[in-house]
Amino acid sequence: MTLDGRSAVTSLVSPRRAGGIHTELKLEDETFLTDDFLRQLINVGEVDILVGLPTHNNAKTIRSIVQTIQSGILQAFPRERAVIINADGGSRDGTPELVTGISIDDVRPTSNLYALRTLHSISTKYGSTPATGVALRTILAAADLLRAKACIVMFPESATIESEWVSKLVRPIYRDGFDLVTPTYRRHKSEGLLLTNLLYPMIRALYGVRIREPYTAEFGFSGRLGSHFLNQNGWNDGTSGAGVELRFTLAAITGGYRICQSFLGEKERVERRGADLVPALRQTVGPLFSALESDFPVWSLVTGSQPVPTTGNGPEVLLEPMRVNRKRLREMFSNGVAELNSVFQLILSPSTLAELQRIAPLGEDEFRYPAELWVRTVYEFAASFQKSVISRDHTIQALAPLFRGRALTFLIENRNASAKEVEDNIEGLCLEFERLKPYLLQMWKSRE
Amino acid sequence: MPVNTDALWYKDAIIYQVHVRTFHDSNGDGIGDFQGLEQKLDYLHELGVSAIWLMPFFPSPLRDDGYDIADYNAVHSSYGTLEDFHKFLDSAHQRGIRVIIELVLNHTSDQHPWFQEAQSSQNNPRRDWYVWSDTEIRYQAARIIFLDTEKSNWAWDPISKSFYWHRFFSHQPDLNYDNPAVREQMWNVMKFWLEMGVDGFRLDAVPYLVEREGTNCENLPETHHILKELRRKADEQFPGRMLLAEANQWPADLRPYFGDGDEFHMAFHFPLMPRMFMGLKLEDRKPITEILHQTPEIPPSCQWSLFLRNHDELTLEMVTDIERDYMYDMYAESKMMRLNLGIRRRLAPLLNNDRRRIELMNGMLMSLPGTPIIYYGDEIGMGDNISLGDRNGVRTPMQWSGGWNSGFSVAEPERLCAPLIQDPVYGYPAVNVLSQKESEHSLLHWMQRIIAIRRSTGAFSRGSIDFLYPANHRILAYLRQLGRETVLVVNNLSSTAQAVELDLRPYKGNILIEMFGNNIFPRVGDLPYLLTLGPYQFFWFRLRRV
Amino acid sequence: MREMIISELTQALHELARDFAHFLPRLIVMLILAFLGWVIAYVAKVVLRSILRLINFDKLSENAGASQLLTKADLPSATEVLSRFVFWVAWLGFILLGVSVLGILGLQEQITKFFLFLPRLFVALFIVFVGLLAATFFSRAALLAAVNANVPSPRVLSAAIRSIIIAFILSIAFEELGLAEETMLVAFGIAFGALMLGLAIAFGIGGRDLARRFLEERFVRRKNEENEDELSPL
Repeated sequence: MTLDGRSAVTSLVSPRRAGGIHTELKLEDETFLTDDFLRQLINVGEVDILVGLPTHNNAKTIRSIVQTIQSGILQAFPRERAVIINADGGSRDGTPELVTGISIDDVRPTSNLYALRTLHSISTKYGSTPATGVALRTILAAADLLRAKACIVMFPESATIESEWVSKLVRPIYRDGFDLVTPTYRRHKSEGLLLTNLLYPMIRALYGVRIREPYTAEFGFSGRLGSHFLNQNGWNDGTSGAGVELRFTLAAITGGYRICQSFLGEKERVERRGADLVPALRQTVGPLFSALESDFPVWSLVTGSQPVPTTGNGPEVLLEPMRVNRKRLREMFSNGVAELNSVFQLILSPSTLAELQRIAPLGEDEFRYPAELWVRTVYEFAASFQKSVISRDHTIQALAPLFRGRALTFLIENRNASAKEVEDNIEGLCLEFERLKPYLLQMWKSRE
Repeated sequence: MPVNTDALWYKDAIIYQVHVRTFHDSNGDGIGDFQGLEQKLDYLHELGVSAIWLMPFFPSPLRDDGYDIADYNAVHSSYGTLEDFHKFLDSAHQRGIRVIIELVLNHTSDQHPWFQEAQSSQNNPRRDWYVWSDTEIRYQAARIIFLDTEKSNWAWDPISKSFYWHRFFSHQPDLNYDNPAVREQMWNVMKFWLEMGVDGFRLDAVPYLVEREGTNCENLPETHHILKELRRKADEQFPGRMLLAEANQWPADLRPYFGDGDEFHMAFHFPLMPRMFMGLKLEDRKPITEILHQTPEIPPSCQWSLFLRNHDELTLEMVTDIERDYMYDMYAESKMMRLNLGIRRRLAPLLNNDRRRIELMNGMLMSLPGTPIIYYGDEIGMGDNISLGDRNGVRTPMQWSGGWNSGFSVAEPERLCAPLIQDPVYGYPAVNVLSQKESEHSLLHWMQRIIAIRRSTGAFSRGSIDFLYPANHRILAYLRQLGRETVLVVNNLSSTAQAVELDLRPYKGNILIEMFGNNIFPRVGDLPYLLTLGPYQFFWFRLRRV
Repeated sequence: MREMIISELTQALHELARDFAHFLPRLIVMLILAFLGWVIAYVAKVVLRSILRLINFDKLSENAGASQLLTKADLPSATEVLSRFVFWVAWLGFILLGVSVLGILGLQEQITKFFLFLPRLFVALFIVFVGLLAATFFSRAALLAAVNANVPSPRVLSAAIRSIIIAFILSIAFEELGLAEETMLVAFGIAFGALMLGLAIAFGIGGRDLARRFLEERFVRRKNEENEDELSPL
């Protein structure tokens, strides 16, 4: 006799609604949850806390990450049933085996950590190439099947992770009933500029919620929110890989879920490469602009913004001086404005474009990409994106050089600023986004 | 039916722990006695027990329920005479039931003539039979056992103006085992009872016999030496009698009490018991398998003794702080239930009177390696009365019927040695032997059934144990094997239905026969063996190859 | 003699009248067909126009860059152009059908050839249209990629790609139409080959350093000066 994973699962899925365009998530999709993984889930059973760990070739760091997570769980939640689920994107360095090898159970009674009960670490391979969207979907499916009350997703390369992070992300959900916990970090003022200059202010202005890190590799969510997101349409539309994390945050906002922020600690500094900007834009700004269309009924009615409850000392800014190649930024900005003129003519309003052309040739000392111009730029991009004046992906790519210009201005303005001044500058930018929201609304409605 | 003469009878025994005081009263004074106990031997025989362990019945001021002994060679007047005891002993043997009695070696009552002599003056010949000191500072490293009542291991004697040593209550002074006269006398006590025909002794508080400065005064080599000596003499003059050690220690520390098969025959496996309860609440077999994994091998002639509850509190000494807090929160929400680092409740109330859990725990008791001990009243699911002080809440009169005094005694209810349980759930009108005998599916009948099945194969009592570690951690599964007999035990520790796949590849080709209904289950093939179990359900399978 | 002339003339006239009488019904049929054709073509034009408006064809053609060409050629919008084109083709078709009824021999063949030619014309036009779309898309993609990778002269690159694709498309279209097939193909081949050779030489000799840097960035992952100072957006 054998456990037929599939036949056990079909009873869990409600039948497909006939003739609808929207299909509910079919768990028996051929390649989605493997039989073996399902069997492992059956053995784990219902849990209270679930930790998701998407990996790809992380053998160097994964052991200590998992052990840190384990001690975090055992310290803060020794009596709760917990599981660590590794969604692996085709590692070839033995990452999954390392994860399952340090599972805490009675088969391997050699763990150094003292545990009241079994703490499974299980692993599944969701594909042969890494795709964060599929990894997250796997984790959500597992959380749904195991009826986890609180779930967190952790980043497998965080060298700065501490065991308290588990508690900081889980406790608001488990004890205080929140649905989404986004982190805040201590990071350098020149890092995360896309977040501070675009994503945070724009989401704040449009959706009315002040989430400092709406796109993040580490966050916590309740089982309720996870199941809601899992069952939403949108997994099969081919763009499921890009920016799922952002769409998750937006789904929490539009669904009226309770959101809070929790200060974790120092953010892992990932190796920086110039080629990362366009993929970053694709994963964040692209999904954001796409979401504006379907979320229009929500954000069109919101005015102002509300802070979310925050635990810990709030985001912290490190002020140590860091080298950034300003000349290059300025060059790329002005080259972009010059070379992409034909594209910008289709996207931007004439006045905005003229203004950009005016500041492009300015020297380093005089160069300034003021907040208001930047906000107008972004909003016009959003409106053009929605109307698909050119291919949407090209719209996103075209934003890259302009962002560089804005980043340069931000760096210059904050070169000698104190932590508080940096925060004030960001706040000022946010208010500018909020102030010009009617402009976006007007553009949105004009050519509909 | 005469008692079988197998020297290792204690391995196959099913032991029934009973206190003569609260079992059955024959003379109407409200206190149980030996004649009354004798009258109930048929009940015990029918239940299927093969040995009775009697709690202390020697003369005593009863300040510790008989563990404070005032005369080692007599029977307390409330329970009858030596003659009565002898007669009871013979009746038991006729039914094939052996009798194990308690012997408190470590200390006597302060009312014992020996102590009264010893304290009368510092020059008395018996002075040295106890441990005296002018100061309280000796043996500082020794822990206090009865934390809730005692503040020190030394007590002041106003008569001889010095301190005497007591590991338990202050009215129980410790005997001085460095004195050869004491050792000689205690052997004579044992011999007295062995000559009468008693089959074995439970030796109380054996780790504490000898004290030495700079140690914790437990498990010392001198203690083991004394015990080995007693064993040697018993083997010489009374072969086939059994010595059972009461030593609440970690398994590694318990191991020396078996010696090389030349010390104790049996010892209680104290650390396992709270972990069984813990595993049940956690719905995780980890605590149970871990402690058994840490349990050392014992000599082939020795046997562990397993129990779920006894007359004492459910002790949480041998668990970590986290585990203790967990057990308190899960099983003893009210502070009144907690005593001396333990929980003073009976089996049924601990398990919320849940018949399935009671069956599961008994199933594990009967199938894990060791001789099972049933505490009187647990076979019908008796309740407890925690408002009675100390540990008396679990020592209430046996409930025989729904009638007068529950059939325990014809005396006036106010004269009973302890009040009967009266609440609507556990009270004697609801829970009693008579009504359970009438009911086909009562707990009593179920206990009879499972005892009979346990006795039907030597794999349980003498077989090896091999744990299976299925990925589903809520399932505790193991194989018991003796010669060519193999039994598979699968327990579902969780409150919800479970599916489990077992790796039975070494047993491929065997047909499984479920032992309660004797129905055949599918044969073991190449693939993992799938079983589904309801909440708290367990299976015993005999593996048979045709 | 006069009588002969008159009778010949009369006969000739009779024949002419007879031929004419023979011819007249056909002419009438032809006219009817032409009229019917006009009606049908008009209906087709209107329907097609509505459909094209519905699928926002104008926007699509704007994307293709076709609208700009039309404006330069002083033509109305793409929808209009296409609708009118279809109208004319349809009507012309009906007229030719009518003409064929007239039974004028030589014309039959030509008419048949014309009708055989029509599908290929449509296909060629379709290829050109799609090709324009592709050319715009890829040239713009190249432009953006080049700008973001800080490659020098991105507009040149973009225009080059656009030209290559258009040339390629045109050659396929001409091939489809059966006009100067081989010439076009060969010409395209020569031009393309020359361009590639030129690029290879340029890259190999002139652009050595650029190529090396490009490859190193791709395959060696060494932190060079640029990258160290780059910002991390997230």
